[in-house]
Amino acid sequence: MAATDRTPDGASAVPPATARLLAGAVRHSPGRTAAVFLCSAVAAGVAIVLPAVLGRTLDLLLDDADGLHGAVVLCAALIVAEIVCTALEALLGGVVTARSAAWLRRLGVDHLLSLAPHRAGEHPPGDLVTRLTGNVAEASTAPTTAAAGLAALFVPIGGLVALGVIDPWLLAVFLAGVPLLIWLLRAFARGSSESVSGYQQVQGEIATRLVEALGGARSIAAAGGSTRELGRILDPLPRLNAQGRRMWRVYGRAMAGAGILVPLLSTAVLAVGGVRLAGGHLTVGELLAASRYTALAAGLGVAVGGLDALVRSRSAARRTAELLAIPPMRHGDRALPAYGPGRLELCGVTVLRGGEPVLRGVDLVVPGGATMAVVGRSGAGKSTLAAVAGRLCDVDAGVVLLDGVPLTEIDPARLRREVGYAFERPALFGETIADGIAFGPYRPRPAGIEAAAAAAGADTFIRLLPGGYAAPRATAPLSGGELQRLGLARAFAHAGRLLVLDDATSSLDSVTELRVDRALVHDVRAGTRLLIAHRVSSAARADLVAWLEAGRVRAVGTHERLWEEEEDYRAVFVATEALGGAPGTGSTCGAIGDATRYSAGDSAREGM
Amino acid sequence: MSVERSGVPALARGFLARRKRVLVRLGAWSLLESAQTFLGGYGVAMALDHGFLAGHTGTGLAWLAVAAVAVICGGAATGGVFRGLADLVEPLRDGLIRRVADRALTEAIEAPSRAADGAVVSRLTNQTELARDSFAGLVLVARSFVFTMVGVLIGLGALAPELLIVVLPPLVLGLALFLATLAPMAARQRVFLDADEALSTQLGAVAEGLRDVLAAGAGQSVAARTHALIEAEARAARVLARWAAARTVALGVAGQLPVLLLLVTAPWLLRQGLTAGALLGALTYLTQALLPALHTLMNALGAAGTRLLVVLDRLTSGSRSALPGTPVAEKGRPSTERGAPARVEIRGLTFAYGPNAQPVLRDLDLTVEPGEHLVVVGPSGIGKSTLAALIAGLLAPDRGEIRVAGRPVAPIPAEPSRRRVLIPQQAYVFTGSVRENLLYLCPDGASPAALTATAAEVGLLPLVHRLGGFDAPVDPAALSQGERQLIALGRAHLSPAPLVVLDEATCHLDPAAEDRAERAFAARPGTLIVVAHRISSAHRADRILVLDGVHAVCGTHRELLDRSPLYRDLVGRWHAERI
Repeated sequence: MAATDRTPDGASAVPPATARLLAGAVRHSPGRTAAVFLCSAVAAGVAIVLPAVLGRTLDLLLDDADGLHGAVVLCAALIVAEIVCTALEALLGGVVTARSAAWLRRLGVDHLLSLAPHRAGEHPPGDLVTRLTGNVAEASTAPTTAAAGLAALFVPIGGLVALGVIDPWLLAVFLAGVPLLIWLLRAFARGSSESVSGYQQVQGEIATRLVEALGGARSIAAAGGSTRELGRILDPLPRLNAQGRRMWRVYGRAMAGAGILVPLLSTAVLAVGGVRLAGGHLTVGELLAASRYTALAAGLGVAVGGLDALVRSRSAARRTAELLAIPPMRHGDRALPAYGPGRLELCGVTVLRGGEPVLRGVDLVVPGGATMAVVGRSGAGKSTLAAVAGRLCDVDAGVVLLDGVPLTEIDPARLRREVGYAFERPALFGETIADGIAFGPYRPRPAGIEAAAAAAGADTFIRLLPGGYAAPRATAPLSGGELQRLGLARAFAHAGRLLVLDDATSSLDSVTELRVDRALVHDVRAGTRLLIAHRVSSAARADLVAWLEAGRVRAVGTHERLWEEEEDYRAVFVATEALGGAPGTGSTCGAIGDATRYSAGDSAREGM
Repeated sequence: MSVERSGVPALARGFLARRKRVLVRLGAWSLLESAQTFLGGYGVAMALDHGFLAGHTGTGLAWLAVAAVAVICGGAATGGVFRGLADLVEPLRDGLIRRVADRALTEAIEAPSRAADGAVVSRLTNQTELARDSFAGLVLVARSFVFTMVGVLIGLGALAPELLIVVLPPLVLGLALFLATLAPMAARQRVFLDADEALSTQLGAVAEGLRDVLAAGAGQSVAARTHALIEAEARAARVLARWAAARTVALGVAGQLPVLLLLVTAPWLLRQGLTAGALLGALTYLTQALLPALHTLMNALGAAGTRLLVVLDRLTSGSRSALPGTPVAEKGRPSTERGAPARVEIRGLTFAYGPNAQPVLRDLDLTVEPGEHLVVVGPSGIGKSTLAALIAGLLAPDRGEIRVAGRPVAPIPAEPSRRRVLIPQQAYVFTGSVRENLLYLCPDGASPAALTATAAEVGLLPLVHRLGGFDAPVDPAALSQGERQLIALGRAHLSPAPLVVLDEATCHLDPAAEDRAERAFAARPGTLIVVAHRISSAHRADRILVLDGVHAVCGTHRELLDRSPLYRDLVGRWHAERI
């Protein structure tokens, strides 16, 4: 299992192209899509034919000629057909869109869940969500938009042709008026973008002020001056109002232009048609048809705008396809040896990020049941090591073994039961606090959840929440340290043979951290522990310390030995503090305190 | 989405009732549109009957010229229509922005510990814009439809009253059908939007927590839950499509059926004396005016209408709470001099964050003497900040009493800041000058000398110089956390309040800067309570209060080393022995 791991080895790993994605959506409901096309086509055909038939019927009526009955019946049939077809188009189009969207989303979510987090993380979460919500919604309208767009394009063109067939003079009048239309639309586009940007700028000012005040809510509450704050936030509002009114003025001018153009064109066509009628070249019915065809032909601009929607659908589909093109993680189906001690081995592990090595040929063994702390300056590759140890990402070279089995060959369900993680900033799931802790491959019993919470030092504050363990997770007021402890509890509740703590106690004060460390050893199921540590105290309490430097293992040994023998080792902890490498305000001070205590025996400055 | 929904119609009625004059003006301008519609059909009928068909081509062209003039007048009226529209729409947007800002601020002040609402910017910008555009579109289209209808009906009546008998029944039937679809469709639209939002929320959680899902091995359950939400959204969309089809049928009945009926009854109408021109005029009304107007109305009401309703619901739900008064409005004698240091007395104080929650503080008794410097220490999450908030009046005790300078602490809105100042961990700095920021807690202002003295004492002068003096503008986003804390500390130091509570207000300062700031406060006349971030703060205190969740022990450093094992732990007299 070397670098071959990420090579695409099957058809599914080849990025599905945009066109193929859309074709897939169509194939997902082929009959309905065909029906949508059929309905649109019929409705468009009726729209083109109907004015002519109406005109002919009118002529027959006025002449009291034979065949009137048949003409009226034809009109009725066409009108009913148009109503039925547009209704069916709306129904089937909506259903096809909904089915395509659901299909694309299922595909997208399943793919997302199959990715290595760092690959998905190349796109910010908001971007991923947009690709699966807004982009999919737009992409999935492609079949219906194509059908409707084609039809919408045919109708004006048909109107234009029909106008010419009735009388070439009428077509000439119409074509003379079109340049005017284009000129007016352009004038609108110029004025509007300018006023829109001014408007948005003022809007942004108000938003900035509000966000500022919300960040200082506690201060404002303590000062008791919220009316004053509201005044400050809303200070730019009159300017927004003025900008808004300017926008309406510009828009109104454009609407006035667009609004008179089509009726004027119609009137001009009628005038010329009237003259031709008086000359006996045109019937009354043809005049009626001509005025209707003028209106239809004037819709050409709108129809072309409709094609724009198709272009948008396609580019939206491309964004979704890009997500699906990220190669997923591949898994084996091997089991782990029963009752293995949790021995973790890294052999020649190299990991590249953006072409640069983050880990370079790391060889490391964590004996089963041991606690190993990983220390190093920020950027030394500690978190990558943690991710590799439980296969949150794959290695570019080398192999990682758990109880002798390469991680890539282990059945993922079994692997996750045996390897647990806690993070510096955990993301919690589930409705309640208890659900958040129970989140995992299986749901522990309530007693197990509470025991895990107690071991993580979370039981006390959970009971202080309204509702305790049943408190709604999303709205519970949680500090960074409390969130960390819930993440720890989640890992403890599902503890298997390997637990990886990636800076998972950084926001805890020293006392709580000590309690958690003790509980980890005494109360949580025994196994191997790998902890990424910033504080001296954590390193000191571990059986072994692995000291990382620039992606390589510099030394492995007990903390005491490294502390005494290696001057650079002591510097690691000071450097971490100075760089602010330990996020969370408490931890930085903790590191100082610990370091001073260890070096000078001074007890004065312990972190809070 | 479980919001109160009945509020929007009432609010809308109130909003429109206050703007009758605008509505009248809008209607007056729109009447020109009726005239345009009217002449569009009537002019054609006259041009045919008295002009082209009668051999008077000039008369025919003259009638069409009249119709063209009406079109141009109608276009000119658009300016007036849009002015009226702005008078309706802009106040609505202003009101929504006020509401959103007011509510966000009120909620944040009532529960400062809750995480900031990330959606507030979207509500303030995207959603108010959505409401503004939808409302404007709705007003434009509904108004246009009504006045076009008026023009059409008057025109038909003018051509031949019998035409109304033929046209009205299918038109009314179609409109009734359409109106009947509105309410159910709005309900389905809401169901759809709720489903869509639930799905977005879930996808957001998954995208944010992908690493955690993988690490926890919960991929299958997460996928199952997401698939269920996707299916629910698709189901809602399919239901919506059925109603869209029903709406299309209603459009057909209202718009197309009159045409058909007119053709069927035409022989009878012609026998009644209807002219060829009148018949052409009637058909022109139906196909050129009525059908397009119906089309836009249905599209606008169907899409924009429901969207507007939903957005307004979301923006206006929740009670509009009265904001607390400003400190300036405080009753009592205005005074620029510092009050005498205040005594803080706490008796039997008990507080829990909810009826089912265990108390954070239980039966706490504590007296802080005037001018004393007390430091509160304890593990994180044990209730130190809660105690600070209670003393500042941000929270009300469940039992017991807190007195500052002999008077009970009232809940925050009523009690202004003249008596005590609380500076929390998250320093608040707003866009404005340095001076404005520093005078924030000085309702009566302060002398330039006092300003400079405070800045010098807390160690703020280098920052003030860097920013360009006291009158230089401050961009909060450009300041580091520590710099923001320095400004907040300067603000508290300058305030005349006889009691200052610092709640981890120095946590982003380096130890030397923290030391300097705390010494400045110790030298400041007044009582000082510090919730400590570092244990070093305790060494500067007169007395220390140790909270450990069960007991509260108060004493000097020496006393506590003897009496409190937790305090000994905190100052580091425990050993990091191998465990």
